[in-house]
Amino acid sequence: MMHPMPARLKLTEDWFAVVAGLSIFALALASMAGADLLGWAVTTSVWMDPAKALAPVSKAFAGIKGAGAFAATFFFLLALLSIGARLLGLEVRRFAGGFAAVFLISYLCWFLGSWARIAATPDKLKGFGLSWSLNLTNEAGYILALVAGLVVGNFFPGFAASWKEALRPEMYIKTAIVILGGYLGVTAAEQVGLATSVMFRGLCAIVEAYLIYWALVYFIARKYFKFSREWSVPLASGISICGVSAAIATGSAIKARPVVPVMVSSLVVIFAVIELLLLPFLAQSFLWHEPMVAGAWMGLAVKTDGAAVASGAITESLIVAKSLEMQGIRFQPGWILATTTTVKVFIDVFIAVWAFILAWIWARKIEPRDGENVSAAQIWQRFPKFILGYLATFAIVVAIGALAPAAVPKLKSAMGQANVFRGIFFVLTFFTIGVISNFKKLWAEGIGRLAAVYVLCLFGFIIWIGLLISWLFFHGVKPPVA
Amino acid sequence: MIRVDETKLTDELRRMESEYEPLLPVEKTLIVWSLSLGVVLLAVLVWFSHAFFEQ
Repeated sequence: MMHPMPARLKLTEDWFAVVAGLSIFALALASMAGADLLGWAVTTSVWMDPAKALAPVSKAFAGIKGAGAFAATFFFLLALLSIGARLLGLEVRRFAGGFAAVFLISYLCWFLGSWARIAATPDKLKGFGLSWSLNLTNEAGYILALVAGLVVGNFFPGFAASWKEALRPEMYIKTAIVILGGYLGVTAAEQVGLATSVMFRGLCAIVEAYLIYWALVYFIARKYFKFSREWSVPLASGISICGVSAAIATGSAIKARPVVPVMVSSLVVIFAVIELLLLPFLAQSFLWHEPMVAGAWMGLAVKTDGAAVASGAITESLIVAKSLEMQGIRFQPGWILATTTTVKVFIDVFIAVWAFILAWIWARKIEPRDGENVSAAQIWQRFPKFILGYLATFAIVVAIGALAPAAVPKLKSAMGQANVFRGIFFVLTFFTIGVISNFKKLWAEGIGRLAAVYVLCLFGFIIWIGLLISWLFFHGVKPPVA
Repeated sequence: MIRVDETKLTDELRRMESEYEPLLPVEKTLIVWSLSLGVVLLAVLVWFSHAFFEQ
């Protein structure tokens, strides 16, 4: 039996996500030099014949067929993440067992979500010999994974408990976001002007969100719901900024007891699920003619990194399909998701800034203690490190594209390989978010009042102010046509 | 997995209503400055983004 690592050798989940994401990015990038190191990775196409659904991403590996590609992908991820589990100080054997179950169920959902009756877009119906489909694209697999996770978490808690080492949505989504940086970098390298515009508007939108959202939620929690400062700060951050990370970072900044941000985080995760199931479809109905507004709205309104970026992905699929159906315009994929991700990434970057401001105010004005300073080291400690990985992959790809424009097609192909893993990490995130959202346990703790302020603020004004801010900054901005 | 301490939080949450900590002047300042700056910056940044960045 392997023993957990000593504390001093442990890696944080945040840093491991950077290492894992950069490793996959580097392996994919090697294909530009002719070394096809990830060509065996499995992709799932929209299918009517299940036997034709799975295939290796690179034609050079066609010989191993879908089953071989699936097995290779599973064992690669099992090995990579087991190393991570070891470095994180987890019990590797338990992690491996849990991960096998999580991976198999998640991928099954992805596979089922790619069934043409669910996933085929209007332009593909004829090719499948179909007269109708749900038009959800293969990202319906995310929703199936979420629902499957909710079923396991709420009705089979015994399974959920036995997989607990592998139920790490934050690690999966952070790894996915590091990989996503490279994929979005290609998109940006192809359209530098629009990318700059999206970056600037995303930055503006989140500055506004911090200043307006946080202050309003904090005021309502303190004044009308009579919460103490210790509860109001993580609650305001969790509802208004970026869910779990913000609640924990700002809670730590004011030295709240750990149980406070953890309780808030539980609410954040559950309400993110509700938003995830609701908002993309609202966006498809009312914002399909303003795709970038919809993308920014997902980034501002949906809390937690995983749910927000996933909402962006679903919104993109739904709006691209609807636009094609209604206007015959096929928007280039990647832009709506890029907008959501950009907004979310800026939100994450600013968590550290906001935590610093709150730490300073609390240390200096509210609970002054002699000789207490917020050091640069504390700020660094609170900074979400996976953001560095995202920025690194994004910058490397943009730099390659700018320095060698002729290499962009190869770059795109390389990032396409990495993107296979991004999709897998996304679906793992959805499933595990569902599993950890244990409704019964949360209500047993009697935190209805916390939930009340959450519902009031989130559905009362956060979502709608987010929509207004997104509209002000992004209306009229269109993705390029494919 | 998300884990919650065994401590029952219901009592603590109920107690908060009777033992309310009033808003301190510094909290009011934080709220007012944050909202005011947000509204002013909103106007400036919307103008800037539409004036200097392509649609």
